[in-house]
Amino acid sequence: MSETRRLIFDRLKAALGGIADKKPLPDYPADVALSLGAREPGDPVARFGQNLEAVGGRAFTDPAALGAWLKERGATRGYCDPALVSWLTTALGDGLTLESTLARERIDDYQFGITRARGAVAETGSLILDDATTSRRLGALAPWIHVAVVTPERILPDVGSAIAALGDDPNVIFCTGPSKTADVEGILIEGVHGPGEQVALIHLFGAP
Amino acid sequence: MSQRGEPFDRFAAAQSESRRSAVRLGSKAGHEKRTEVLFRDYVDPDSLRRLAGEIKQHTLDHLDLYLERAQARLEANGAQVHFAADAEEACRTVLEILKSRGAKRVVKTKSMATEEIELGAFLERHGVESLETDLGEFIVQLDADKPSHIVKPIMHKDRREVARTFEGHGLGAYDDTPEVITRRAREHLRRKYLEADAGITGANFISAESGRLVLVTNEGNSRFCLAATRCHIALVGIEKLVPRDRDLGLFLNLLGRSATGQALSVYTEFISGPRGAAQPDGPEAMHVIFLDAGRSEILAGDAREILRCIRCGACLNVCPVYRQASGHAYRGVYSGPVGAVLTPLLAGEHFPEFADLPRASSLCGACNEVCPVDIPIPDLLLRLRDRGKRAGVKPAGAAPSMKSFARLASRPAAWRRALRAGRLLGLIPGPLRPRALRVWGANHVLPPWRGGAFRAWMAERKRKQP
Amino acid sequence: MRAPRVQLMATCLADAFFDDVARATVEVLEHLGCEVSFPEDQTCCSQPAFNSGDWPAARSVARHCLRVFSDAAPVVVPSGSCARMVSHGALLLFEGEGEADRAGAAELAQRSWELGDFLVRGLGVARWPGRLAMRLAFHRSCHSRGTAYADGALTLLRSIEGVEVVEIGEGEQCCGFGGTFSVAFPQVSRGMGALKIDHVLATAADALVSGDSSCLMHVAGLADRTGRPLRTLHLAQVLRDALRAGGEGHP
Repeated sequence: MSETRRLIFDRLKAALGGIADKKPLPDYPADVALSLGAREPGDPVARFGQNLEAVGGRAFTDPAALGAWLKERGATRGYCDPALVSWLTTALGDGLTLESTLARERIDDYQFGITRARGAVAETGSLILDDATTSRRLGALAPWIHVAVVTPERILPDVGSAIAALGDDPNVIFCTGPSKTADVEGILIEGVHGPGEQVALIHLFGAP
Repeated sequence: MSQRGEPFDRFAAAQSESRRSAVRLGSKAGHEKRTEVLFRDYVDPDSLRRLAGEIKQHTLDHLDLYLERAQARLEANGAQVHFAADAEEACRTVLEILKSRGAKRVVKTKSMATEEIELGAFLERHGVESLETDLGEFIVQLDADKPSHIVKPIMHKDRREVARTFEGHGLGAYDDTPEVITRRAREHLRRKYLEADAGITGANFISAESGRLVLVTNEGNSRFCLAATRCHIALVGIEKLVPRDRDLGLFLNLLGRSATGQALSVYTEFISGPRGAAQPDGPEAMHVIFLDAGRSEILAGDAREILRCIRCGACLNVCPVYRQASGHAYRGVYSGPVGAVLTPLLAGEHFPEFADLPRASSLCGACNEVCPVDIPIPDLLLRLRDRGKRAGVKPAGAAPSMKSFARLASRPAAWRRALRAGRLLGLIPGPLRPRALRVWGANHVLPPWRGGAFRAWMAERKRKQP
Repeated sequence: MRAPRVQLMATCLADAFFDDVARATVEVLEHLGCEVSFPEDQTCCSQPAFNSGDWPAARSVARHCLRVFSDAAPVVVPSGSCARMVSHGALLLFEGEGEADRAGAAELAQRSWELGDFLVRGLGVARWPGRLAMRLAFHRSCHSRGTAYADGALTLLRSIEGVEVVEIGEGEQCCGFGGTFSVAFPQVSRGMGALKIDHVLATAADALVSGDSSCLMHVAGLADRTGRPLRTLHLAQVLRDALRAGGEGHP
């Protein structure tokens, strides 16, 4: 392997040695790719909610309302991050079963999965998930409905600032709406391998 | 149908009308979406494309430095880094990793690099089940077909074909509703993810600053590969590097919009190592294989700008030739304008077999106009035409040799005589005319020959002037 | 503005088929007070050989072209594709060749103009005099990409009294000529041309206008062959005809 490494680097040095006018790394302002919509003044929380809905997701700020919606959808049994279970068992209201462990062999029994998000991106309506804040990767992915709980002050304004805040976590995901495909005749279908419903509960963790 | 002429042209003509229509309308929709969203979100998208092109070119010009930096970061993050000089070595490296773990079943995401090296077939030959999980690629695999577009692999198929495929593979009675097709794939692949031993992905970008791989997907298949299995193997072309995390912001904003008219794809994953210590799901081992397979050679040549490509497919969508011919006409993993440059180059010593591809273009330049990294594709096509000619490749079409034209066009007196004599062309019987003229005449009414008329007019005016 | 002496590069297509386009170009330039010279030894800009990939052959023709137009006066050419060959293609062609070739090509490039571009940016013409009662479909030929010239031509056309300019649907799609491409890949070329003709007919225009005779020759020839004849006019012909109808041109 190290022989191959040496071979490839030798090839690269030989290839690049002959180039007289190598391009410098251009300097550019941090907001060069900030979209026009995000340049308008506005409340990041509200903008996040609007943009999440624009990509087919749903935003809730009231756990009771979320609970009612889940019941309406017939999603009464699901996985929940153990750190949120005691709060949400009460806050979501009656009629829902929250399991704090996830069994792979019964993966399709979980009609919803509730996990914490590290934050969100207002510009695109994206949730930011990572390994540190997601109790189980499969809990956020496998059930048809994924609810990500995000605290309002962790909603970042735009993609650029979200990338600046990536930090050390080995698995950060910008999650922008429910999973989708248009592979068959270009027709958009939501809910492929990932969730068919992407929900955000914008709320302080554990607060009433 | 005539057996003469360019294979590419014959393939295009032999397409069914419904397939040509599917390709044309799918491409047109993709192009329109791209344009709408880019101009909705930015005042001057072209300046962003040029900036992104400069960043990519800079990275290529210093690729050894960035590759070294990326390796160091990845290893510091707990990933194992390998290098593969060619396709064979890449395949063997993957197999060795799998064997060392006793892995027999893998699930993989859509990755053009893995298609280049034909990894799936190699693994199957060596007793490893390798399952495509991207819906389009899954269907292609069931059909033993080949994808026809970089981003939309089954753009050439309609729902009826897909439904028949599913039925034929025991995935349920015939049903061509797209929702049903998608649900069936979801249920079938779900079990497969959970039974698999490893997940294989490519990477859209890799930041040299942090060692982060970026995966851009919509379906959730990549997340599942990396949530359900214990080992992640990423195959990454060495040209996928970008200098810094902040550069990722620009590229991601351009990629989504250029490819599918989305600001961001549904899932943008930033992966810098195996799973976090407290995370129960996901890979405990991460392997990154940096793939050369012809890239360093391209870097040394005069078409190196093609390595900027971020695989968005925008050039395919706008290309009028792609729309007529479809992706399969390009006989390679990459089709459309990028394929016309990359396929002959990646073929190395087999370049002559693909030397027709750079000529299958009217050089209209629409590709460069939509390219998020501003690749001057028409110039690269022209350079490859020169290379093909020097390599002695004989075109199969009716394009005339330029030697006699060049002789005539460097001898003004002979040129002027030919202009006057050209009216005699009309007197030559059809079958005896030069082939180029016959081919032109088959599709066009020739304009009347007027050689010498303008010059006579100019001479007459000059005479009349005081 | 005092108009300069210019050299006309008529193009090999005008030399062989489209003498009226070259004549109209002369009349248009003279109307603006230019003195137009026509170097008789001119032949071709070398684009056919360049596009075919026979670069040695192309270089011999391009060198001849450099010699023929070595006079310092600006060169005006009624073709975007030939203008692009002179301003861009020749520079690629002579990369890696001798200093004299490269310098000569660069020098010619910076004083060569496509006709519409010369009128609008070179001479500052904003309004075209005369009149013409016609509905015209405007074809942006591919070589106008990234240049000011297509917009220049549109500005002039729209300014003519009586002219209504309509844009063609999917205007960014190439007509399918591409020079030797149309003969090497005739089926693809024909498919592209047929789509273009559909779009042009949908405009119900009186004529198709372009700054490139090559595109017009392909589209008109294909349309004729398939029983849907199209009237085509080069930009120079429209400008000349407007002058004549308005009583301002040469008889």
